[in-house]
Amino acid sequence: MCAYIWRAIRLEGGRQMQEMQQTRPGGLSTRGIVISGVLGAIAILLGATRIGFIPMPTGINATIMHVPAIIGGVLEGPVVGGLIGTIFGIYSFLNATTPMFKDPIVAIGPRIFIGIFASWAYLAARPAGEWWAIVVAAVVGTATNTILVLTLGVARHYLPAKVAWTVGLTHGIPEIIVAVILSLAVLLFWKRVQTGPAKARV
Amino acid sequence: MSEFELLRNITIGQYLPTGSYLHTLDPRAKIVAAILVTAAVSFTPTLLGNVCLLAACLALVRIGRIPFSYALRGLIPAIPVLVILAMLQLLFFGRNYDPASPVVFQWGWIVVTAAVARLVIVSAARFVELLFVTSVFTLSTRTTELTHGIEALLGSLRRFRVPAHELALVVTIAVRFIPTFALQAERLLRAQASRGGAPGGRRWNFVATTRRLLPILVPLFIFALKRGDELIVAMEARAYTGGEGRTAYTMLRHARTDWLAPAVALAFLLVMLGTAFPF
Repeated sequence: MCAYIWRAIRLEGGRQMQEMQQTRPGGLSTRGIVISGVLGAIAILLGATRIGFIPMPTGINATIMHVPAIIGGVLEGPVVGGLIGTIFGIYSFLNATTPMFKDPIVAIGPRIFIGIFASWAYLAARPAGEWWAIVVAAVVGTATNTILVLTLGVARHYLPAKVAWTVGLTHGIPEIIVAVILSLAVLLFWKRVQTGPAKARV
Repeated sequence: MSEFELLRNITIGQYLPTGSYLHTLDPRAKIVAAILVTAAVSFTPTLLGNVCLLAACLALVRIGRIPFSYALRGLIPAIPVLVILAMLQLLFFGRNYDPASPVVFQWGWIVVTAAVARLVIVSAARFVELLFVTSVFTLSTRTTELTHGIEALLGSLRRFRVPAHELALVVTIAVRFIPTFALQAERLLRAQASRGGAPGGRRWNFVATTRRLLPILVPLFIFALKRGDELIVAMEARAYTGGEGRTAYTMLRHARTDWLAPAVALAFLLVMLGTAFPF
């Protein structure tokens, strides 16, 4: 009897929780709004403080400013990932120091898709395990950014195609490695916190 | 200790009160006008068109009563990149871009056609013009005005299930949390420094550099997500239900003169798109 009542309470609680989390028009829950906001703030902060730029052997900096979009996409789905990417895109357009990123088509457009594709990739790779799913999401998200930005850069005649290929290979691959390291570090830690206390390994 | 003062370098939402027409303009009208002018700049590929655009952008800076040194602040750090990009375009485009164009310079395998030369000048000019437009826009708009403007503009799309209020709230939260996270990042950098750690590293080993950044980046992300969770609980506890039936403390009221700016911008865009410039 006790067990039955307990089950009923839990079911009722679950239903209420679901109602609370119910999405409003456009598929945005309170959680979605807040997570988009805070991770968008992190993306801007990484750019504004230059923490998000990692010096590379080629002399150009690799960026990790798109990682919040990947993390948002993995945690909260494509809408949140897309919103964080849009915030990152608008910031990079407003504060661009190169003609290519001062073009809204190149700066904002591709960034919307980082989180969306990362989220879909994560969902598709989920059966292979959490670790692999995060790696795949980070690779897909970063590759989306690199490929779309360079393609539009060539299409809008900012870069010759040869240069775009060189940049894509010498720059895109290290950027993917850096994004995988960071996404794994953050997401594995955060997900462990959510699912229960970690055991001390001393 | 200056390397730990992150907050000082953040210039988001910097506002320069000069009390000009652009400063007092209704934010909705200003956003629409800015988008129209940006479109005019993005879709004008001719030299003469860009001369007109440059003149228009200089006029904008003048109308906003913004000192030129302020508006051009972003240009000086960009000059090396501009030069490198121009070199790449001149060296590698060759005949691939518009093969019909006459050759103006040839030395060995380096071929510069008139079309490529025009392209180099137009991309540099476009950069300067957009720099003017974005600086004038950000220097003359408070962030609160911006979010109110976004909400009001998207509000008309509510019918098509566009969550206007929610999107404006996302922007507000992002802008509001930047200083908080900057302070936290400062604290993390100091904590690492006090333990003998230093971010950065050798250029050729970027994996090691990234790993050295992890003690700062991971806590920063986790702090952000935790603050987010706290905010979600606080909002749910206060029965936040989104924008439906919500009233605002500040109401946007537009005067007739406010619609002058987008009207002029639209006319300008149409003229720029419609005119066939000779070169």
